[in-house]
Amino acid sequence: MNRGGLAVWFWAGVVGLLLAHNLYIWLGARLATDSDILALLPVENRDLVLEKAFGHMVESAQQRLIVLVGADDWEKAVRAADRYLEALAPGKNLVTPDQEMSPQGEQDSLALFHKHRLVLMTPDDERALRNRDKQYWVDAALSKLYIPVASIKAGAWQDDPFGLFGTWLQARARETPVRPRDGRLFVADGARVYVVLPFMVRVPAFSMAAQAALTPLLEDAREAARRTDSGVEVVAAGIVLYAGAAAAQAKWELSTIGIGSLLGVVALIWLTFHSIKPIALITLSVGVGCLGALSICSLLFERIHLLTLVFGASLIGGAQDYGTYFLCHRLGADDQLDSHQLLRRLLPSLTLALITTVAGYLALALTPFPGLRQMALFSAVGLIFAWATVIFWFPALASRGESNGGGPLMRWCAASLQYWPRLELHRLTLPTVALFGLPAALAAFGFARLHAQDDVRLLQNPPKGLIDEQIQLSRVLDAPAPAQFFVVRGESAETVLEREETLKQRLDTLVEGKLVSGYQAVSNWVPSLRTQEARRGLVDERLLNGAGALPTLARRIGSDNVWIVATRERLSKSRDKLTPEEFLSTSAGASVRHLWLGPVSGGYASIIGLRGVNAQSLPRLREAGSGLEGVQWVDRVGAISEMLARYRTYMSWVVLFSYLAVYALLHRRYRGATWRVIVPTALASIAAMAALGLGGQGVQLFHVLALMLLLGVGVDYGIFLQEEPSQRDPIAWLAVVLSALGTILSFGLLGLSRTPALRAFGLTMLIGTMTVWFMVPCFAGAEAPRKKLAAENGNKTKDNES
Amino acid sequence: MNACWAAAAALAALALLGAAPTDKIQSMLARPKVLCGRFDQQKQLVGLKKPVVSNGRFCVVADKGVLWRTLQPFPNTLKITRDEIIQLNGERVAVRMDARQEPAVRMINSVLFALLAGDLDPLEKIFEIDGALQERSWSVKLKPRDAGFGKVISSISLAGGVYVRSIVISEASGDHTKIEFSAIQTGDGAIRPDEAALF
Repeated sequence: MNRGGLAVWFWAGVVGLLLAHNLYIWLGARLATDSDILALLPVENRDLVLEKAFGHMVESAQQRLIVLVGADDWEKAVRAADRYLEALAPGKNLVTPDQEMSPQGEQDSLALFHKHRLVLMTPDDERALRNRDKQYWVDAALSKLYIPVASIKAGAWQDDPFGLFGTWLQARARETPVRPRDGRLFVADGARVYVVLPFMVRVPAFSMAAQAALTPLLEDAREAARRTDSGVEVVAAGIVLYAGAAAAQAKWELSTIGIGSLLGVVALIWLTFHSIKPIALITLSVGVGCLGALSICSLLFERIHLLTLVFGASLIGGAQDYGTYFLCHRLGADDQLDSHQLLRRLLPSLTLALITTVAGYLALALTPFPGLRQMALFSAVGLIFAWATVIFWFPALASRGESNGGGPLMRWCAASLQYWPRLELHRLTLPTVALFGLPAALAAFGFARLHAQDDVRLLQNPPKGLIDEQIQLSRVLDAPAPAQFFVVRGESAETVLEREETLKQRLDTLVEGKLVSGYQAVSNWVPSLRTQEARRGLVDERLLNGAGALPTLARRIGSDNVWIVATRERLSKSRDKLTPEEFLSTSAGASVRHLWLGPVSGGYASIIGLRGVNAQSLPRLREAGSGLEGVQWVDRVGAISEMLARYRTYMSWVVLFSYLAVYALLHRRYRGATWRVIVPTALASIAAMAALGLGGQGVQLFHVLALMLLLGVGVDYGIFLQEEPSQRDPIAWLAVVLSALGTILSFGLLGLSRTPALRAFGLTMLIGTMTVWFMVPCFAGAEAPRKKLAAENGNKTKDNES
Repeated sequence: MNACWAAAAALAALALLGAAPTDKIQSMLARPKVLCGRFDQQKQLVGLKKPVVSNGRFCVVADKGVLWRTLQPFPNTLKITRDEIIQLNGERVAVRMDARQEPAVRMINSVLFALLAGDLDPLEKIFEIDGALQERSWSVKLKPRDAGFGKVISSISLAGGVYVRSIVISEASGDHTKIEFSAIQTGDGAIRPDEAALF
């Protein structure tokens, strides 16, 4: 068996393995896909406490689904909510009402609070204890006594005569606008009353099967609720809804881009070769590329992100390059030339083209975004496998003498080249200057209008309806912000609570100034031991002891010393200390359990959640957290935006240096003509950026990353044309045209994606590739004819020798 | 929450000043547009030997609401309207509960205003009603249907003839409140100008 045969069998073995592995992951359902947008985000800081905090905030929300069923009166809302629940009942293996948040859950915590009521008071009352005189407290107790019924109090009057505990309980109830009503949860906004229906999703929120089952169920329930009355409104929010929408979108885009690219490529090849065999061969190389990418990625990554597959679908347009390049040359080559000899001649340029493109993709892996790394690796591996299929199999499969003269595209291509304008540096004519000067002026104008855009929303663009409902729900429920909060740390639980209390004093000023509507903290429920001690002292001094309010109160209500002693005993009976652990195990504790990070490396930590956060309050919140020991302000949205900005700058430099590196790499082969290979791509990058400026779009990281890819792809065309004996050879030109059309098709389709990041990639590549395509022949044919002829003769001789 | 329930119970009871369950009792009761009078309140609190006594004036104004003014020994005013419940210490608003945000307030008000309009259904929804009827007087005992409510209020008893004469509220904590009404006046002249000004 000769070397060629060995190569064929070797590759057949590899492809066999790929097929087997793909069957295994598809049929065995071992391919775990991911639609969690957070999985795309970098884990940049290795701060374990922060990671745990993010985890807590996400976990507490991930499996939850909150639905508001609203109407203009309560009865209608209840009726509609009942229909909603009935419609969901068949899906109880998917989603069930969340018992923890039901109105019945409140009672057991009350017993614990009641036991510790002496130290449970609002900061206002604590201040009043310090500042107000005895008469104030006597009056407070009497007023509670004489109003018609014990209106505002918890339990018997004698258990809380001064109302401190009752006021505290009310303050806790006010942390949420949700109220129990007729055994349900009630909330109201200006226009409507709502039944709040909290659900737990019983299947993983990011499982696509779960989403597929859940989405129609929820839609039916919504319809059922709406049918009860024309004024009924259903507002739903939950990560599962976002995940479902993202997954559905990704699937649709995956098939559009995949099928679109494939059909386009097949059409191109048919138009070029007018033969079935090339179509089969190209599809084979692209197919092996895709199988390889899937196999390797599923081995390297735990799960493959759906957006990777969407991005990977654009691979079809790129992976066909090598096959087309080979087939074009087979078509153009002398029938005498053996396919293996042809390969040997094409190998350097094919390899160089592969290296530049793969390098372009791998540059994406320089970013800390796990999603981008996966996309980069997927594409790079796909290209390598497609390339290897061409190298190992095409010489054997595409034998000589099979051409039928080609299709219309080939003839058009050959003809078109003559009409292409050429850039001859020593012959600058007015038309040439106009041809290049006008775009240059436009580009300068576009560049002047460029601005940066680093919003985190680039990563995801959920349907507007979902966002609107989420915003409405957050507003009605006055829910805490999931991505902005404080992390408080300390050596012990006590230190954490004490530091929370210090921070809360600053936050109170913001609440008073209406910059935020409130905050959630474990220390709202469990004061630090220091505070518990101080409060006990205060109550003793100001209320209970001989000089306090209690004896005066006793005189006013005509009670004797026995009552004073008994009441004092009763109130100060419990000297136990209330601890976070004790509180968190109750049902009231469940609502803030996610705020308590508990023991972490280096001590304890907790989260303070904030309600009613807006753009104005963010800087003030950051300020409030500064200078406090153990307090850290966390703004995940801001941090991601900052990171996007930082990497946009960083990658811009990487792009610049890559041009230098590619120049150095190419210089070894092309010497003085290297600039002819690289300048069209550089100009295309400028054109793409200028187009952004002209279109009023902001430059983001993903545009810059696309420039990196463009370098990899665009330089290929330069190489293909520069490589030829005659640089204006129609065959090389045909390969460039086919490759460019494939890339334009794939990335153009990617440009239709709803994910802004992918759209940025797609559009940049689309404009860039089109420009390179247009520019490459202008730069390629500029050598002096005499030299060109000599080169051609030289090459011919070489061919004959081999 | 408990506080709200307690207030709800009290005010639902107050609402009965103008009406009582069952059609017969209802037919016995006068339903004036304005009804004012004196009340004497006696509270028997757990742990206190002596009852705590207070008195004051009350007014029920159809379509507007209820005014409850404690005069002795401690001035304090409670005003219940369709939209809110306000407790005034002198001029100062001590407590305000908004009916839009607090369902308990909404419930109180819906009961109150339903009663003022002679519609007894809302009361049946909230309480089990047990009534006794004599020739010229009646008595009624209300027990909360809702378990959470029941943890605060164990029962409310009312008695009266043409007007409600007394209310006894028994709280689950053991505290009892007895309110007696007297010197009842009706008609536009019943309400004093400073009271009318509060609406």
